[in-house]
Amino acid sequence: MSAPPKPPPLTTVESTETSDSGAQTLTLSVGPQHSGSGHMRLIVEVDGDIIVNVAPDPGYVHRGIEKIIELRNIIKSIPVIERPSIIDASNLNHAWVRSIEEIQGVEVPRRGQYLRTLLNEMNRIMSHLYWLSIYGVFLGHTTMFMWPLGDRELFIDLAEKLTGARITYSYLVPGGVRRDLPPGFAEEAVKRTEYFEKRLKEYDRIFFNNPLFTSRAKGIGVLSREKAIELGCTGPTLRGSGVDADLRKDEPYAAYPELDFEISTRPDGDSFSRAMVHMDEMRESCKMIRQIVKKIPSGPIRRKAPIVLPRGVAYGRVESARGECSFYLIGEGGDKPYRARYITGSYRNMAAIPAVLLGNRLADMPTAWWSIDYWPVEADR
Amino acid sequence: MSLSHEREDGLIQKLKENFPSDIKETNVIRRARLEVTVAPERIKDVAIFLRDKLGFDHPNGVSAVDYNRENRFEIVYHISSIRIKEMRDLVLDLKESVPRNAPKVGSLVSVWSGVENYERESFEMFGIIFDGHPRLEKLFLTDNWDGPPPLRKDIRFPTD
Repeated sequence: MSAPPKPPPLTTVESTETSDSGAQTLTLSVGPQHSGSGHMRLIVEVDGDIIVNVAPDPGYVHRGIEKIIELRNIIKSIPVIERPSIIDASNLNHAWVRSIEEIQGVEVPRRGQYLRTLLNEMNRIMSHLYWLSIYGVFLGHTTMFMWPLGDRELFIDLAEKLTGARITYSYLVPGGVRRDLPPGFAEEAVKRTEYFEKRLKEYDRIFFNNPLFTSRAKGIGVLSREKAIELGCTGPTLRGSGVDADLRKDEPYAAYPELDFEISTRPDGDSFSRAMVHMDEMRESCKMIRQIVKKIPSGPIRRKAPIVLPRGVAYGRVESARGECSFYLIGEGGDKPYRARYITGSYRNMAAIPAVLLGNRLADMPTAWWSIDYWPVEADR
Repeated sequence: MSLSHEREDGLIQKLKENFPSDIKETNVIRRARLEVTVAPERIKDVAIFLRDKLGFDHPNGVSAVDYNRENRFEIVYHISSIRIKEMRDLVLDLKESVPRNAPKVGSLVSVWSGVENYERESFEMFGIIFDGHPRLEKLFLTDNWDGPPPLRKDIRFPTD
């Protein structure tokens, strides 16, 4: 009896080329469905299961926000600016009002600065928790998906008390903030951050000290210090490669000069380092929130600012959850900006995606790729 | 906050000494923010000097601005320093101007590899051609977009 004929090879391949080594490679299209790529596509070329070439293909959620804000007055732009990263809305909002205030020459009252910092740090935790829950999905760890999303509600409720909205607050306006602290907020914030710190220890036990995670993350997706600087990386991606750069320390703004906190860095530059930087930052943010509600000075929360952008140029930047978010703002005297260039942390870290994936196995892609905390909507704008 | 700009003036001084005829304009916007306008044909030499001699190793982004009334585009490289810790708060805007009807400049990807995506975006949104860019293709726009570069000032939206 002769063997049955071999079935023809499956044609799930976009193109086949011959690599330098003479081996055939496959070009795969990962995404743009949000199952393991976010709303973006990665064109990955593999030799066997080793990634030999990566080209990010963003733009699936591009909205032309830079054009939209050229056509609106500076206050109406605030909700638009929050859209690219609604899980980190107040940090993006802060970069916008900072650059406006710089051109207007408006000084924000100290209580307003503290309230801004308070919401920024709550947002940092919320954003990192969202990242962590998706990381859990990527690695097939269902508990790590459920827990962070559940604990995120602790801070969403707090933010709702403070601002009236759960996710997109439009809380920061030129000159200050919209609302003052509600009664009982300080006690509630202390209670919730203390509870959350206990939860972080449980995260460590179930996920970060778990060989399921460590064996897949340590030494995977290495981004060297030199490469991270050269590519212009920022935020936890840069700090995961051993660079202690953080705008909250390097160019202190709002209430940060008066707060006591540490910048977390890890020297290895692998996926595990970047993940641990996120964890450390959540702990530091909890400490900061408690300091803020204790130290917050009394006084006005807002100063009058004109709805006019005088002639001038500003480069306003803040440290958002995913790194530096900046506006290059040009005013020409009207209520609209002449040009508002919007550069976000994810956009900057897009350059690191090929660098962390090249040379790894295809199966390591989720671990390496999501450790950058690349948020496609924030990058596309 | 001190009002003196010694550090910023020092940087401008060093640039002017090394490129006496190529630095067209300098401006200190405020403490830690300065603008330097250079001739497009020498921007690469100035960039290499900034990176190697003055420590500007970290690209923060690239902006393109359409001054259609003056019939020119301005390309602005926002760069900062990680290597020199005391200078991390400083952002230098390295600017060049090109005529609007012939928008062609040299790419700086070979100086700061991180500017690759920003130059691609300026190419698709403003139609500025970066000579020597390794992959001058569309980044955010769809591949079948055949309209004009959408961020130019003369492109109006129906809701304008």
